[in-house]
Amino acid sequence: MGALALGTAAVAAVLLLHHLVMRPRLTMGTRIRLLLGLAVFPFLSAVATTAHGMHRTTEAEFCGSCHVMTTHLTDLEDPESKSLASRHGRNPMFGGSACYTCHADYSMLGYPLTKLKGMSHVYNYYLGGYRSWSLEKFHEEVRIAKPFPNANCQQCHSGALASFRDVKEHRAMAEELKANRVSCASAGCHGVAHTFSKRPEEL
Amino acid sequence: MLRLFARLLARWPVEKALTAACVLGLVTLGIMAAGVVLGTPLWVIGSMSAAQGTGVLAGLLFALSVAADAGARSTHRP
Repeated sequence: MGALALGTAAVAAVLLLHHLVMRPRLTMGTRIRLLLGLAVFPFLSAVATTAHGMHRTTEAEFCGSCHVMTTHLTDLEDPESKSLASRHGRNPMFGGSACYTCHADYSMLGYPLTKLKGMSHVYNYYLGGYRSWSLEKFHEEVRIAKPFPNANCQQCHSGALASFRDVKEHRAMAEELKANRVSCASAGCHGVAHTFSKRPEEL
Repeated sequence: MLRLFARLLARWPVEKALTAACVLGLVTLGIMAAGVVLGTPLWVIGSMSAAQGTGVLAGLLFALSVAADAGARSTHRP
């Protein structure tokens, strides 16, 4: 998609530069060239750019490109880390987009709503002051906006298989898990996802 | 409303509008290419929002210029 976006943008740019430099008369040929340079190729490029951008925003490297997320990315990529996030990040099926895979809400509108929530992160980073914060201050003061929903875990760990149902803790806590009163990623269960960003009493 | 539109088209500076459309189009293409090549949050978001706004504006300038030119030709036809 990136190559298509750049290729069509390059063709459109050549057509527009040709018009700006040569200043041709407005004949039918000029109109067609301008139609290609101002509408057809830019439209194709916009579609490809959007598809590429939407995919790019699901990559863990993208999430980790803001300095307050660097430790999250480092932990995710650390083969020695035992954190829940890192164990998921090592999964070859989705490790490269582990942040998005786990944090995207599960519903028909999960994809666009997750992207909209991501815009609030961008706002907080560039206009809300996070950009000038130290990592220590960020880890101390910022917590997830709402409790992590178990439904997100159950996108993959559906609970339908015997290997899930046979665990007595899962059976005993079934109602609490369903109502999100107990988190899969809590200290007594599978552990906090990003351990390094929590105070000792939160672990 | 239609008369107002026709009057606007009659005075539309076709050459200047086409130049502006080309420049806006190049800015649009530049932002979109930067979003793909650099891949940093601001450029990616810019390529999916601001660039599409300037691109639509460039397309509108072009469409109005074509309409104005076509109108001028039909008015001056012997």
